[in-house]
Amino acid sequence: MNMQEGTTLSRIGQIAINAHDVDRATAFYRDVLGLPHLFRAGQLSFFDCGGVRLMLDKAEKPEFDHPSSILYFQVGDIRAAHKRLQDGGAKFEDDPHVIAQMPKYDLWMTFFRDSEGNLLALMSEVPRA
Amino acid sequence: MSATATNPGMSSLGITNIGQISIITHDTARATAFYRDVLGLPLLFTAGNMAFFDCGGVRLMLGPASSPELDHPSSILYFRVPDIEAAHRRLVELGVKIEAPPRLIAPMKTHDLWMVGFHDSEGNIMQLMSEVPRG
Repeated sequence: MNMQEGTTLSRIGQIAINAHDVDRATAFYRDVLGLPHLFRAGQLSFFDCGGVRLMLDKAEKPEFDHPSSILYFQVGDIRAAHKRLQDGGAKFEDDPHVIAQMPKYDLWMTFFRDSEGNLLALMSEVPRA
Repeated sequence: MSATATNPGMSSLGITNIGQISIITHDTARATAFYRDVLGLPLLFTAGNMAFFDCGGVRLMLGPASSPELDHPSSILYFRVPDIEAAHRRLVELGVKIEAPPRLIAPMKTHDLWMVGFHDSEGNIMQLMSEVPRG
C-alpha cells in the first residue's frame, strides 16, 4: 500500500526556510551563497538551487517559527567554498572534514550558519584516487 | 568539477544542487515506515539509527537530533506529484492527517500551482505540489 501511478512523489520542488528578516536573508543567499534569485513576492523571496526552489519566508505563526532543516549544499571544491563563505562572513561550526568513507568516494562536510541562525552544510563527494 | 562549471544557473560559490536534507525523527523505525510505505520513496540504506531515502536525486536523511538545539520540526518540503487530487485521495485512504483539501495557491503564467499540506509520522508539516498546465 503506497503511492501509485499518478501519485508518485517524483522530486522536491520547493523548500521553505524561515527568516526573521527577509531582506537580510535575501542578501545572504544571493551575495554570500551566490544562489540565483528568482523573484520576490511581498515577504516571500525565492531562489533556485539546481532546480529546487528555496522559499525564504517569515513564519506565519509562532509554532512555525523554528530553524530550518539542515540543507546540505553540494559543491565541487569544499575547501575553496569554505574559504569563500568564511571571507563572506558566514560563521562556521567546524572545518571541512571527512564524515563518511563510501565505497567509491570520501564524503566531506562542513557546517555553517546562515544570516538567520539556521544550521546548513556544504558537502562534497571526493572520488577515491 | 568541470561537468558543472559551465552550468549557467550555478551559484558563484560553486553550489550545484542540494545533495541532502535532514529530517529529525523521534522514532526512526516509524518514520522509515512512513516515508517508505506511505510516501513510497525508495529507501537507500540504513545506518544505525538513521535511514536514507532518495527523492528525485536529493537524499533525505532521517534520524534523531544529535543535540537538543536541533530537535525542532523540519522545514516544509514541497514534493512534486503529477496528479494532486489522486495523491491526496491516496494519503487520506492511508490515514495521513491532512491540513486542508488541495487548493490553488497561485495562478502562474503558464500553469496553476496547487498544493495540499499533510503531517508526516513525526508531526512535521509537508506539502504536495503540482503545476497544472492551463488548458
